[in-house]
Amino acid sequence: MSAAADGGFAQLTQGVLATLERLRAAREVTVGCSQRREVLRLGKTTLQHYQPLPGVRPAGRRPLLICFALVNRPYVLDLQPDRSLIRRLLEGGRSVYLIDWGETDESDRHTTLEDYVLGSLGGCIRYLRESSGGEAVDVLGVCQGGTFALCYTALHPGDVARLVTLTAPVDFHTPENLLSRWVRGVDTELLKECGNVPGDVLNALFLALMPVRLTQHKYVRLLTGAPDQRAVEDFVRMERWIFDSPPQAAAALAQFVRLFYQENALLRGTLSLAQRPVRLTAVNQPLLNLYAAEDHIVPPSASAALRGRTTSSDYSEESFPTGHIGMYVSRAGREGVPRRILEWLRARE
Amino acid sequence: MNNPFFSPGARPEELYTRAASGFLEMLQRMGATLGAQAPPDLSKLGAPLTEQFEQWLRFTQGSGPWMAGGFPGNFGAHAPGAAAGFGPVPLGPAAAGEGQRLWELLSRLTTLQGQLAAHLAQIARSATADFLARAAGRPLASAEDALRLYELWVECAEGAYAAAARREDYAQLQGELANASAALLVEQRRQAESLVRAFGLPTRAEVDALYAQLRELRSQLEALRAAPAAPRARSAPRPRKKARPSPGRRGR
Repeated sequence: MSAAADGGFAQLTQGVLATLERLRAAREVTVGCSQRREVLRLGKTTLQHYQPLPGVRPAGRRPLLICFALVNRPYVLDLQPDRSLIRRLLEGGRSVYLIDWGETDESDRHTTLEDYVLGSLGGCIRYLRESSGGEAVDVLGVCQGGTFALCYTALHPGDVARLVTLTAPVDFHTPENLLSRWVRGVDTELLKECGNVPGDVLNALFLALMPVRLTQHKYVRLLTGAPDQRAVEDFVRMERWIFDSPPQAAAALAQFVRLFYQENALLRGTLSLAQRPVRLTAVNQPLLNLYAAEDHIVPPSASAALRGRTTSSDYSEESFPTGHIGMYVSRAGREGVPRRILEWLRARE
Repeated sequence: MNNPFFSPGARPEELYTRAASGFLEMLQRMGATLGAQAPPDLSKLGAPLTEQFEQWLRFTQGSGPWMAGGFPGNFGAHAPGAAAGFGPVPLGPAAAGEGQRLWELLSRLTTLQGQLAAHLAQIARSATADFLARAAGRPLASAEDALRLYELWVECAEGAYAAAARREDYAQLQGELANASAALLVEQRRQAESLVRAFGLPTRAEVDALYAQLRELRSQLEALRAAPAAPRARSAPRPRKKARPSPGRRGR
């Protein structure tokens, strides 16, 4: 190689070392930025209310309840001031509530999907209805939480006024769904018998969907991209969230894998929760379905399958040019998603 | 895989350092292999690239993603054959027969890990072949060139992996690996149960039974809490007492 090339490689190496130094300095970054307080506790699940922002006029009278997935922590929706879906919703004047599922431990081994969907999600919705004069509430279901929100709405349509789903899987058998292919042969009874599944196992599964990009390439890009300290801190916040996965309750996970990933029961109309049939056709609320065009965890086809499956006469959807996590933190996601939700709600007051 | 941020004693920079050193090692290997030729003969990279990628795949997915992170016991973590070192634990009164079952499960898991290793080797070969075909004639005279080649390598590696991972036999193998690992874990626990029972210690079965009772009691308690409101609502309305006029209403 030429001397110029040698110089280029030396510069690249120096850049990598400098980024490593910034990464060490960014180790103590904090996550979460909006003030909130617990207003309800149901076992380990808590309902959190976000404090309205000073000087912002309330918009709409209904509370907006966010139901996040079980497989990750919901603080990705409020990571930092400039990357916070929750903050944008507060700036839009919404009264925002969030379900925090709490810390799963061995005592949750037998916790079922019914406990989560009908007990926790249902309990939070009932509480909000009672505290707002009996009015139905608006629900924003995210990822697996969107699937839960659809199930609950199908069973209790009178409780939900308007429903927004964000990267929510509905059809688990679309050809792009690699995760679904892999888990179809899993013996869910055996899985349940193993006890709670550690978050690290699920993380390994998600990383294995695109191993080179997710465990090597993204770090190399960071290291060679000469990021400043702020960009490094943003990156570390996301890393913290990605690897901060709670354990999954054995019974609920086994049920979710069997009913949704293996049997595709929600889409097929064969799903029952607590012996009650869950039918998408029972969902007749105004419905906004948002999903990511480059999602490798919930392929866009899995979310778009909601179109035409409900009896809502007011169904809208939008695809964003980003990936699953990008829906919460990328530029496309953090600007476009809250704006779309706020506009959609405003148009239906 | 541990959470690099929350595991006790874990150092998140290790994650980045590992990625950085892997990348720099790749660059060095490129430099050492290709020397000062222009255009470089990239075919010389074939064997080392395949070897490096296969090793990496085996390290990250040796036992399949389901078990890689570590169910309690961390069966078969990271490398094919690692499970074999775990060995059966002949516990309890019926240990003699149960030891055989454990060996069978371990043997099954090792066989499946061997099948996975064969898939990973094939992925590494396909990735390299695709890379060499697409990289032929590209320059490697600067750090930017190297980065562009690296991007191409990632594309080829991910493409080869995705093609294999979507195949039916690969998906089936993932399920079988998960089931074999889970069966092994369940069998070991079953043997441990027989031992703790012999010592009069509480077993998982007992804890589960207690939990079922607790759950039943909770639901009964909830039903009782809800009950008082329901009969009142359904009962016939009582005759209303004649209301005494309040001072505010007097005279209206």
